[in-house]
Amino acid sequence: MNVFNRRGRRGRRGGAETLSMKTACGILTLALMCLPVNAPMAQTTTSRIVSAANTFLSTLDQKQRQSVLFAFDDEKQRARWSNLPTTMAPRAGLSLKELNPAQRSAALALVSSALSPKGFEKVQQIMEGDEVLKTSGGNNPLFGKDLFYISILGTPSGKDPWMLQFGGHHLAVNITLAGERGVLTPSLIGAQPALYSLNGKTVRPLGQESDKAIALLNALDENQQKQAILSYRLADLVLGPGQDGKTIQPEGLKASVMNERQRTMLLDVISEWASIARETAAAARMAEIKADIKDTWFAWSGPTTVTPGSNITAYYRIQGPHLVIEYAPQRLGGDPSLHVHTMYRDPTNDYGRRLAAK
Amino acid sequence: MKTRLVAAAAMLLMAGTPASAHRLDEYLQATTISVERDRVQAQVRLTPGVAVFPMVLANIDTDADGIISEAEQRAYAARVLGDMSLTIDGDRLQLRLVSLKFAKIEEMKEGGGEIQLEFDADVSSGGPNRRLIFENHHENRIAAYLVNCLVPRDPDIRITAQDRNYQQSFYQLNYVQAGVRSGPRSSAWWSSSRGWLGAAALLLFAGFAFVLPRLTGRALRVVCFFRESKGFTEPVSLSTRTRGLRR
Repeated sequence: MNVFNRRGRRGRRGGAETLSMKTACGILTLALMCLPVNAPMAQTTTSRIVSAANTFLSTLDQKQRQSVLFAFDDEKQRARWSNLPTTMAPRAGLSLKELNPAQRSAALALVSSALSPKGFEKVQQIMEGDEVLKTSGGNNPLFGKDLFYISILGTPSGKDPWMLQFGGHHLAVNITLAGERGVLTPSLIGAQPALYSLNGKTVRPLGQESDKAIALLNALDENQQKQAILSYRLADLVLGPGQDGKTIQPEGLKASVMNERQRTMLLDVISEWASIARETAAAARMAEIKADIKDTWFAWSGPTTVTPGSNITAYYRIQGPHLVIEYAPQRLGGDPSLHVHTMYRDPTNDYGRRLAAK
Repeated sequence: MKTRLVAAAAMLLMAGTPASAHRLDEYLQATTISVERDRVQAQVRLTPGVAVFPMVLANIDTDADGIISEAEQRAYAARVLGDMSLTIDGDRLQLRLVSLKFAKIEEMKEGGGEIQLEFDADVSSGGPNRRLIFENHHENRIAAYLVNCLVPRDPDIRITAQDRNYQQSFYQLNYVQAGVRSGPRSSAWWSSSRGWLGAAALLLFAGFAFVLPRLTGRALRVVCFFRESKGFTEPVSLSTRTRGLRR
C-alpha cells in the first residue's frame, strides 16, 4: 500500500520521528481498507457499479456507444470539465438530452451506483438548481438538467482501472475505479443557485460545506483565527478547471496547532466532499486524510459572519499532502452566497493516477 | 415534473437573481509562480468578464478588425508583461515570454475564454535567504488578481513566507535555498543591468590603475620642474616621490 510505505519512508527520514498509536491505528485501518479486499460487501460494490455500467451501455446504439466511450488514458477527455455551462465549455460523451427515458434512467442509475446516497442527492440538487436557473431565466438555453454529460473512459471492469465522468454546469464528478478502490478526485462541486426552494422545501446543495466551515472558524481561538484568516481577497478557485497537477504552497492555520476537537471539526468539513463517493472509497479516503491531518492547513478569506440559514460569502481552502479543497463564492453580479464553486483534489492521485500505476 | 419546476421557479428564494454563469465586471488575472535555483517560471491566466470584455478587446484587437492576429497577441502579451515586475533580492528580472494562447473572441465575449501566458526569467545565484517580489498592475481598475507559488520541485528550496496586499497586486515570497553560500555570481548575473554596470566599473577601475601612475608621474615631473625653475629648494613629499620616478 502506497500510503503505508510513504509514511514509513518519512519515518525513516525523520530519524527519531515516531508514529503515535492513533496514527498507527489510522494507517493500519487504511491499509486494511485498501488491500485487495476479499470482503464480499466491497466486491459487491464494485461489481454493482460495473453491472450498472454494462446495463447503461447495453441500452445504447452503436453510435451512442462510440460517443460515450473513451480510452482510459485519454488525457483530453479526462480534463474536459468545467464550472461553466456546457454551451460555453463543451463536454464530450452523451448528454442526458440525447438519451431516451430508459437510457437516461440507466445513466443516472450508473452515477448513483458509484456514489453514496448523500453524494447522489447532492448531484441531483445541483442539477435541480441548474433547472431552476433555466426556468427563472425564461427557459435560458444555457442551463438545465438536460445539459449534463456522461462518459466512460476504459472498459468497465471489476479488476482493471476505468473512469466514469458525469457533469455539466457547476458539476464535474470524475470517478476512477481500480478493483475495489475508488477515487473521486478531481471533482468540481458547485451550485447556482446555492439556495432555492423546491416544493416547499429549502435546498442548499452546499449548505453543510458552508455551515461546518464557519462552525470550525468560530471554534478557533483568537490567535488561531489570526493565522487562519488571510489578509487578501480570493476572487475564484486557484486550482479549478485546467489546473491539474499543481500543488500550491499551503497557507493559513496548520492543524497541528489545533486541538482534538478542532481537528475533528476539520475532518467533518472534509467529509462533505469525501463522502460523495461510495462508502468504502469514502472510508479509505477519510482514513488517508486523517493520517495526514496534522500536516493539513485551513485558510479563510472574507467575511467571518453569516446570516442564519444562508451560505457563507467567504472563500476557504483546506490543503494537506493528499488533499486540496477550495470553497469559492462567486461575485458574478449577484449575491455570492448564492453562487458557489468548490474544488476537491488529491494532487498525488487525481484521476486515480496512483491507483492506475499499481 | 413540469409542475415541480414551475413550483421551483415560483418559489425561487432569490428574486431577481441574474442567471449569470460568467464573470461580469472583473478581469480575473491568476498567476502561479514556480521558483527554481536559477530560474523563475510563471503562468498567467487572464479571463475578462462579460461587461469589461469590450474594453479589454480594444486593447488587444488594436486594428479593430474583429480578429486577434498573432502580432496583436504578441503585442498584448508584451503589454501585460510590461505591467508586471519581478524582482529577486531587489534585482529586477527581465521577463521572457515563453508561450501564449488566446481563446476565441466568441468564448471571451461570453466570459469563459482565457488568455494564457507563460513567462520565465533568469535568476542570479545568491545567498541562502531570498526574497521574490511580484507585482501585477495590468488593468488594475477592473482586475481581480490571484497569485500563488507552486511548491518547489527542488527539495532544497523551501518557502518560508508569503505576503500580499488585499488585491494581490503585490506579492512577496521569501524562500531558503539549502547548500548555498554567498559565492561568485553566476553567468546570469552578468546579463542583468546590474551585472553590466559592475563590469563597466571594473573596467574603469582597471583603466585608472594602469593610466593613473603614468599621469601622476608626468604631473609630478611638471611640478618639480616648475618648483626647481622657481628656486624652491625645500624638499616636499611629492618631489621626493618624483625623484624616485626620475631614476
